[in-house]
Amino acid sequence: MRSRNTVLTLLSCLLLMALVLAAQQQPPSPAPQATPPASQSPGQVTIELNRGGAKKMKLAIPAFRGPGQLTGEAARGGRELEETVRRDLELSGYFEIQGPDVLSGLPLTGNVQQDLTAYRSTGNEVLLLGDVRAEGDRIVFEGRVLDLGSGQAVLAKRYRGPFNVSRRIAHTFADEVIRFLIGKPGIALSSIAFTSDRTGHKEIFSMDYDGADQRRVTGHRSTSMSPAWSPNGASIAYTSFFNGPPGLYLADVASGRKRPIVTSGSLNTSPSFSPDGRRVTFARSLDGNVEIFTADIDGGNLRRLTNSNAIDTNPAWSPKGGEIAFTSSRAGNPHIYLMDAEGSNQRRLTFDGTYNDGAAWSPEGDLIAYTSRRDGRFQIAVTNVVTLETQVLTSGAGESESPAFSPDGRKIAFTSKRGGSKQIYVMDLDGGNLRQITTEGNNDLADWARSTPER
Amino acid sequence: MNRKWMIWIALPVLLTFLYGCPKKKPATPPADLDVETTTVPSPPATTAAPEEVQQPAAPDVNDQGEDPLMSSDMAAVNEELQRRGFSADIYFDYDESTLSDDTRDKLSRNADLLKGSPQFSVTLEGHADSRGTNEYNLALGERRANAVRDYLSSLGVAGARLRTLSYGEERQVCDTDDEGCWSQNRRVHMVITGRSNVG
Repeated sequence: MRSRNTVLTLLSCLLLMALVLAAQQQPPSPAPQATPPASQSPGQVTIELNRGGAKKMKLAIPAFRGPGQLTGEAARGGRELEETVRRDLELSGYFEIQGPDVLSGLPLTGNVQQDLTAYRSTGNEVLLLGDVRAEGDRIVFEGRVLDLGSGQAVLAKRYRGPFNVSRRIAHTFADEVIRFLIGKPGIALSSIAFTSDRTGHKEIFSMDYDGADQRRVTGHRSTSMSPAWSPNGASIAYTSFFNGPPGLYLADVASGRKRPIVTSGSLNTSPSFSPDGRRVTFARSLDGNVEIFTADIDGGNLRRLTNSNAIDTNPAWSPKGGEIAFTSSRAGNPHIYLMDAEGSNQRRLTFDGTYNDGAAWSPEGDLIAYTSRRDGRFQIAVTNVVTLETQVLTSGAGESESPAFSPDGRKIAFTSKRGGSKQIYVMDLDGGNLRQITTEGNNDLADWARSTPER
Repeated sequence: MNRKWMIWIALPVLLTFLYGCPKKKPATPPADLDVETTTVPSPPATTAAPEEVQQPAAPDVNDQGEDPLMSSDMAAVNEELQRRGFSADIYFDYDESTLSDDTRDKLSRNADLLKGSPQFSVTLEGHADSRGTNEYNLALGERRANAVRDYLSSLGVAGARLRTLSYGEERQVCDTDDEGCWSQNRRVHMVITGRSNVG
C-alpha cells in the first residue's frame, strides 16, 4: 500500500512539474518597438531610455582556443579578434557575459557536451566558443554558439582572411551573433564621420563605431565641417571653406574623390541626405538671410523651403523621408521645428531650454535628439516627435552637443568638453556605458552611418 | 494525508520556479558545423590625397610712388585706410546682428572712405563667439556680415564691391571661455581684398 502511494505521489509530481513547465514556456518576445500613441495620457512615458526593455541574455564566453599557440602577427591578430568579439557583444547591451575569469572556477573538462552542466550552473543560457588558427599568412576563425538548454549548436561560422582584417572578422561575427540570438541588427560594422583639427586644420575624418581605425577623409587644409553620411554609407557630404565661401561638397569614401554639390552664393552648409540618397537638404544664404533648401545630389533642382526673416538652418531629413527637422530663431531664439519635406506644415517641436539646435533623428523616426541649453549649459536632450515629451540625457559641466543616433537607435554619439578639449563620446540612451572614443586634437560633429557598404 | 499531498505539489512547483526555463529561448535550426568559409579580403588602401589649397599669388612690393593707396600690397592699403579712420572691426551683442549707434558711426566713416576710393572691393567677414553650435554660428556670422553690407549699401557704397563671407566660430581671435574673449569674437571684420581698374 505504502509503495503504491509513493509511486502515485511521484507520478503526480512529475505531471505537475510538466504542467508548470508548459505554462512557463513563453513564445519569443517580439522586438520591443517604441510606437508612441497619437495622444499622451498623463504619466504615460513615450521615451523609453532603456530601449532594450527585455532582460539580458546570459552568455558564457570562455577563452578562445588557439591564440596561445600562435606567434608574431598571427598572435596579435588572434588576440585582437578575441578582444573585439568580447567588446562588441559587451557594448551591445544585450548580454550578461561571463568571461574566462569567472568560468575558470568551473570544473571544465574541455569536452563541450560534458561541460554543458557546468556552464549552466552559473546561470548561463548560451555558450560562445571561438577557435583561432593560422594557415600560412591567413587567420582562420571558427565561432560557434550553443544553446545550453539543448546542447545544440545554433550558429556556426568560419572566416578566413589576412591578419589585418582580424577586427573586421570579429565585428562581422559579433553582428551575426546578435542578429541570430536577439533578432536585431548589430552595429559593430558601422562607422562614424566627424571633424578633427589634429592635422592643424579642421578636416573630415571617419572611424569604426568603437573609435578604432581613425582615418582622414579630406585634405583641404582649410576648414571642413558638418559631415553627413549618404544612406548607403558610400559617401559623405560636408561643408568646406577651401574654395572661398563655405560650400557643399561630396566625398566618395572608397576612391577619395571630391566634387561640389552647391557652391554658388555666399553660404551653403549643414547638409543632410534624403533616405533615397538622391537629394540633400541644407542651409543656404540669400543676401544674408539663411534659409532651408533642397537640391539634387548633383546640385540641380534647387528648391527653397523656408521663408522667414529669422535664421533657419541645420536641417535633418527624417529616416522615412516625409519630414525635415530644422533650427529656426523665428520665435526669438533658436528652437527645433518640423516641416513636411516640401516645406509645408512648419511647426515648432521644442519649447524648453533657451537654445535648441542640431536635430538628429532616431532610426525609427520617433525621437529627435538635439543640443539644448539648460541652466546656461549645453546638454543633449531628446523629444518624441508625436507627443513632444522631452528628456535631458546629459548633465553637469562640459558642454555636451551635436548628438547622433547609432543605426540601432540604442546609443548616441556626441561631443563634450568635459575632459578639457572637444572629444567624441558614445553613451546608451539612458546615459550608461559612457565611453570616450577620440583623444587626438579637437573632435566634433559626429554623424553615425546607417549602413556600411561592402568593403 | 492531505498535508503530504500539499508538500508534493509545492516542492516540484518551487523547484520548477527555481531552476525554471530560460527567459528567452533562441531558435534552434539544425546544427550544421560543415559551414562555408567566409573570405574577408584586405580593405583597399584609401589614402586621402592631400589637396593643395590655391594660394593667391604673392603681391609685388610697392614701388608705385608715394600714395600708399596705390600700392598693390593689400596689407599696406588696409593699413593706410585705417590710418585715415577706417574701422576694420565692428562688434555685436550676443546672438544679435543689429547695428548699434556707435557701429553706425564707424560704418559711416568707412562708407565715406570707400566712396572716396571706388577702385577697392571689400570682404566683410562675419564672426561669432564660440558659444552655440558651429552650424548656427555660421548663419549668425552671415547675418552680421550682411547687416553691415546692407547698411554700407544704404549709404551709397556700390553693392558689387562688397563681398560677405561668414566664418561662424571657425576663426576665433582668442580662446578663453569668458565675456572678455567672447565679445572680441562677435564681430564683422572688414578688409580690402581687391582692386579694379575703375576710377
